[in-house]
Amino acid sequence: MEPLPLTEPVLLVLLSLAEQPRHGYSILKDVERMSGGRVKLSTGTLYGALRRLLDEAWIERVEEDETPRDRRSYRLTSRGRRNLQLEVERMRHLTKLAALRIARKEA
Amino acid sequence: MLNFYRWLLYLYPRLYRQEYADEMASVFREAHGEICAESFRERVSFRVRETLGLLMGAMREHIRDVTGGDQSISFRRFDMRAEFRFPRSTVFLMLIIFGGVILAVEKANTIQLKYAPGAGSIWLSLPWFLGFTLLFTYGGAIVVWGILFALGRTGAHRLANIEPGSHRPE
Repeated sequence: MEPLPLTEPVLLVLLSLAEQPRHGYSILKDVERMSGGRVKLSTGTLYGALRRLLDEAWIERVEEDETPRDRRSYRLTSRGRRNLQLEVERMRHLTKLAALRIARKEA
Repeated sequence: MLNFYRWLLYLYPRLYRQEYADEMASVFREAHGEICAESFRERVSFRVRETLGLLMGAMREHIRDVTGGDQSISFRRFDMRAEFRFPRSTVFLMLIIFGGVILAVEKANTIQLKYAPGAGSIWLSLPWFLGFTLLFTYGGAIVVWGILFALGRTGAHRLANIEPGSHRPE
């Protein structure tokens, strides 16, 4: 599956899980914090994205016996991490290109 | 608000609800508990966001169920399948047809003003006519599609099996 480009909410969800496994509420707060309060996901949007990411095997559930059903955690799979790296690489290339073009225009 | 939220969760497909509803309600409860200390504006914004998020999410999941849900709705920015996109020429042809309709109405208007000057302009009744026509057409189409869908005759169930870029058999 071609991973690029991702929407901003999905990218932020993946970045949130890149650091450590998180449960739903923790992802919501982390996305809000990372975006400086600009991106506030609703639970409907979050779980829609989580379901699709689970279906594509970009993330997986952390299976723990003592975890209650309504507080399950998610983590990135190796596939998800690889695709996230590709997306970040694409953005880095784009940023570099943009900086070069702007600098050339100003010179 | 939690009861309302739980009620809205019933709009989701049953399997989705079984899998995620408890978790979503739990996350919502935590978020709602925190937002109670915020300003009135923040609280309203939160409620609107959550309600719209659930409505959109439920609709998306139902569409996903109908289309098979494998690759049909991806999280990429442009997720319409290539085989379902309008060709650019369609827009051009629609503009030509639209221009033709405008010319025809203008011509009819001129004739009416010539032979029945007191009758008023056709342009005034046109929006109502177009509105009712569209409503009637869409209403009829939805009813017919609903019947065919219930009978499993729309082909919607087979959309998931379409291979993007595959050729028709000779």
